[in-house]
Amino acid sequence: MKTLTTILTVAAAAVSLSAAPARAEPVTLTWQMWAGTDAEIAAWKHAAELVNAQNPDIRIELQTAPWRDYWTKLPTLAASNTLPDIVSVQSLRLANFATLFEPLDDYVKQGFDLGQFDKSILEGLSYDGHLYALPYDFGPWIVYYNRDLFAKYKVEPPKAGWTRDDFVATAKALTQDGHYGFAVTATDWLEFALSDGAKYLTEDGALNFADPDLQAAFQSYVDLVTKEKVAPVIAASGQPSGDIARGRFLAGNVAMYVAGPWEMINIRKSSNFPVGLAPLPAGKAGSITLSAGSGFGINKVGPHKDLAWKAIQVLTGPEAEQYLASQGRAFPARIAQQGSWYDVAAQGVANARETIDYALKTAQPYRTTANWNTVSELLEQYAPLAFGGSQSGAEVLNTVQSLAAE
Amino acid sequence: MSVQAQRLGAQVAGVPRTRRRRAFRAEGRAAFWFLLPSLLGFLAFLLFPLVASLALSFTNWQLLNQPKFLGLANYIRLFTVDPSFWRALTNTVFYTAEYLVLNLVLAVGMAVWISSLRWGKRLFRLIFFLPTFTPMIGASLVWVLIFTPGGLMDWVVQSLGLPIPNLLVDPAWAMQAIVIVSLWSGFGYNLLLFGAALESIPQTYLDAAQIDGATAWQRFWRIKLPLISPTLFFGTVMTAITALQVFDQVYSMTRGGPGAATATLGFFIYQNGFTTYRMGYASSIAWVMFLIIMGLTAFQFRLQRKWVHYDD
Repeated sequence: MKTLTTILTVAAAAVSLSAAPARAEPVTLTWQMWAGTDAEIAAWKHAAELVNAQNPDIRIELQTAPWRDYWTKLPTLAASNTLPDIVSVQSLRLANFATLFEPLDDYVKQGFDLGQFDKSILEGLSYDGHLYALPYDFGPWIVYYNRDLFAKYKVEPPKAGWTRDDFVATAKALTQDGHYGFAVTATDWLEFALSDGAKYLTEDGALNFADPDLQAAFQSYVDLVTKEKVAPVIAASGQPSGDIARGRFLAGNVAMYVAGPWEMINIRKSSNFPVGLAPLPAGKAGSITLSAGSGFGINKVGPHKDLAWKAIQVLTGPEAEQYLASQGRAFPARIAQQGSWYDVAAQGVANARETIDYALKTAQPYRTTANWNTVSELLEQYAPLAFGGSQSGAEVLNTVQSLAAE
Repeated sequence: MSVQAQRLGAQVAGVPRTRRRRAFRAEGRAAFWFLLPSLLGFLAFLLFPLVASLALSFTNWQLLNQPKFLGLANYIRLFTVDPSFWRALTNTVFYTAEYLVLNLVLAVGMAVWISSLRWGKRLFRLIFFLPTFTPMIGASLVWVLIFTPGGLMDWVVQSLGLPIPNLLVDPAWAMQAIVIVSLWSGFGYNLLLFGAALESIPQTYLDAAQIDGATAWQRFWRIKLPLISPTLFFGTVMTAITALQVFDQVYSMTRGGPGAATATLGFFIYQNGFTTYRMGYASSIAWVMFLIIMGLTAFQFRLQRKWVHYDD
């Protein structure tokens, strides 16, 4: 008993000693962010340090999860009341999670200049008329291509104004010696469908996958694998099809693939060939792509909301934006910093500025249903049936439509 | 076991009653403290979540909303509306049947073969047991590389001229990929189990049978198999239970695809709970799965009277 008392006394003394200087210590805010590669994690760590450099009273503890797991983790954290102070969100998925976020309107009214940001992504991160996150990036889906393969097979590189027929012919010419012209994914056919004038959502915003025009557009994308044979089959996999496509492109096995400007960080770090950019090939309705972006919001029930507001201003501030842009992690939502992406991250990349400018002119904001996470997971699961030739594109989309509607 | 308990009882009966009661009380107290940690663990991590998931299965909880009581609606939807549930159930039963049979045949066959070896018994058992303690997720990733279109598996199949399509592309064959990986990782455990049972068969039985003119085949079917049947029964029950719960392989190799070809009940629960965020519905599936496993295990215990021999 005596020893116990001694231990307790010592422990109490230790606690009081450590508590005294704690007041001067900075407050630690937690921040959840998705990151799939080491290069991405390093970029976000640097951004977190910027917050501490500009606000010595705040320290950021960064927690990352791969993209797909992030959307599993987020609601679980929310349900167990362990959501971080700063929550990252993508415009496509805001509708799913808007209830977790503190509306930023009152903070903005105290004198924050939203005019520095691209308008479309501010809209993308608003829901029901309220802004829920400050954007750090946005951008259109565009075609990345491997200039070495184009040179090797003496194929004319793509440029703005090229058509779907040009695209198929180019991809065919590049499909040689085990290389493929293009890499398909489970969701990037949506941009091709838009360019064909098909609509994946109805006017009321419901899923429109049973639409014959959309199904025809999907089938022509599937044909790239099954009929034209210019893209490798996507098998069932634990990995998202976008990661598989990126892996094949970085390995030099496919000459073209579709991704956003945020991928430039991985292209820069992991490719050993020169890269070029081109807008989506024009379909029946022109070259129309989707644009989306992401930002950081404040946990509605967090204990440090005001500090979190300070932190996200830094994370989306000019200095952080310039850094993320030059690393190629983000095409900045702040217009003034976009030059860093062109001049530093995309240095040596053919047609970077022309492509982004061209794509943004006709890009549509990526509108989604409230259960978009389900829709995209169903596409990942069922699209391989079409690519493998077991089912038609229409059958796959009908299945996804009926399963997502439940 | 029962013999020991009786002996213990007889010994205790010889001691005067008061002393016995005191001894029991002291032992009981000690036992209580020794069992307390695992009891607390059981309550906190098993019983509480079990009861909570049962309660949730009657609600529409979607992680971010306030759960609302729905009565039996989840269960009704499961059995009458949702085609994916029946698909997952069929897949699971198909997988379990195939995996169970192959696992037992392979494990018994290899165990008999290894026990007949003059040297290297331990080495072989170790080699085949290694996959059992290899993390499933890591092993699955390697297997995906083997199965991937244009990978090692395709090369082997093509070189041999076999009419087998790529396992991860063709929905009719996708489940075979899961079965192969499960066999690779799972049969070593049963092998070790059956091997130990075979070792414990008294050599005199086998010698006597041989003198009476029994062939190796007869010795296997008439002597070895009946004598290891209790272990065989244990292996069957445990393998069936883990097979019905299959998840890791599916999660890391196919995510239920292509289409719903490899969507098992375990994966179906995960999908409903964590990608569509329907926790209430996922809980109701989990309980249906629990009842299926319990029913099947009870059925196996009934069947054991017909084929399991206990050497009393």
